[in-house]
Amino acid sequence: MSRLSLEALTLAQGGRTVLENISGTFEDGAITALVGANGAGKSTLIQAIMGLLTPLSGKVNCGVPKERRAWLPQQLALDLTFPMSVEELMLSGCWPTHGTFKRYGPADYRRMHTIMQRLGLSGLAHRPLGELSGGQRQRALLGRTLMQEAELLLLDEPFANVDTHTVEILCDTLREMASAGATVIVVLHDMEQLAQLADCVLLLASGHAQWVEPETLLERHHAPARRHAHTQAPFISLNLPDVPPCSTY
Amino acid sequence: MLDLLTTLNAWLLAPLTDYAFMRRALVGGLALSLAAPPLGVFLMLRGMSLVGDAMAHAVLPGVALGFVLAGFSLPAMSLGGLVAGLLVAGLAGSVSRMTGHREDSAMASFYLISLALGVMLVSLRGSSVDLTHVLFGSILAIDDTALWLIASVASATLLVMALIFRVLVVECLDPLFLRGQGIRGGLVHGVFLGLMVLNLTAGFQTLGTLMAVGLMMLPATTARFWTQRLEGLIGLAILIAMVSSTGGLLVSYHLGLPSGPCIILVAGIAYLASALCGRHGSLLARVRRRAAPLETDENACKPS
Repeated sequence: MSRLSLEALTLAQGGRTVLENISGTFEDGAITALVGANGAGKSTLIQAIMGLLTPLSGKVNCGVPKERRAWLPQQLALDLTFPMSVEELMLSGCWPTHGTFKRYGPADYRRMHTIMQRLGLSGLAHRPLGELSGGQRQRALLGRTLMQEAELLLLDEPFANVDTHTVEILCDTLREMASAGATVIVVLHDMEQLAQLADCVLLLASGHAQWVEPETLLERHHAPARRHAHTQAPFISLNLPDVPPCSTY
Repeated sequence: MLDLLTTLNAWLLAPLTDYAFMRRALVGGLALSLAAPPLGVFLMLRGMSLVGDAMAHAVLPGVALGFVLAGFSLPAMSLGGLVAGLLVAGLAGSVSRMTGHREDSAMASFYLISLALGVMLVSLRGSSVDLTHVLFGSILAIDDTALWLIASVASATLLVMALIFRVLVVECLDPLFLRGQGIRGGLVHGVFLGLMVLNLTAGFQTLGTLMAVGLMMLPATTARFWTQRLEGLIGLAILIAMVSSTGGLLVSYHLGLPSGPCIILVAGIAYLASALCGRHGSLLARVRRRAAPLETDENACKPS
């Protein structure tokens, strides 16, 4: 039984239809890559899944309660001049259980320190957010979703501008969360990361969506004609008719 | 030694022990100093430092209407100011949400309309002396009613701030997280603006509508030069506000100057001094900047 599915979903933003008639099921415990060109509607779809955008028609069936859904927006969506330490950011992940009033107890601190150790953030507990590197900040934000015990995790380009060490830690952690049963959806551009991480792919292009197997996408990508000669990072083929749909979704 | 004590007594204590109006003014100023600076800290951190100023202007037509209807009655003028301030904040908020325009442009428009209305109302009824009083206040004429009003507003502000503190912090840093948790950030924002209007109204009698913002913002912007932690900012801002209130009041007594501007100028001097030689980001700190030593803590940043 899947906790998250889309039913003939049509989404509009600013008076313009962005995505039309999207259906499908996100498997529990799987990592789904959301792939598409800029403006294809990836962030719009994420907003709809988070319940922040009312669909024009159709619906999002989500069995995960609101407080267990976590969204890591693109970098720099945070106000980094705000005087807050890593510890305070991570503890704000206790919101579902602690809300506005409840005091953070020793157990919460212990849990936080375990998570910080796992993310390679030990020793940075009292460092202000503004002094962190891009990678450390991304790990701290992932730390907050771990504190939140998120069952549905949406990440918008989490690997942009972060070091390889962070990419490794993020990938391992996402894999662990998925193994523990969480539904993970990641917006990705990089083919290597997709190969490493994704169990399935939802391809968005020109207002439509198609579920594809990562292997199919990778095969297409390795065809010489698809390579970007001038960029080092390999990018993904974005034309729907090129890619055969996946049969299972 | 005795001479020194006598001089200190004459300068610092005698005005307070001798005159009841000075004691009242001090209590009023200290109460305002407890409540307004924390609001100023959050305004500053949200990049809304000038919104306080806009709201102070917005309060004016309500105060004027109270004055026109009931004469120089503090409760009527305060109530009028409160209603006008909340109205402008509410209208600006809803226009910006409906149109998608930035909130500061909507607020600027409404406060200007409101200010013009206020000046018009005062000129219809009173003389220019009354207008000066409304604009710049008179801390030396605080009666018991005013004191009760200020004390209640200060207590209510601290209580509500304590209640919404965590929401406010998370909302400042990452509003989307809060929305994801099903909390309406707009509501928190509204409560916060309401508190600000309440404090400006309480402050208008003592400092005047325009000077009341000074006690809110200057301590906060000064504290920014000394600490980088939120709790530190709030505590230090309160301390600076209290010292400024007391110092400004004594200066105004001894030199025969108006009290409101004196209090704000003392806070202003603190700001300038901090900008020159504060610990973080001041001129002196820039000149003397040294790099922190490389991390030796083996836990920090070590790949696992």
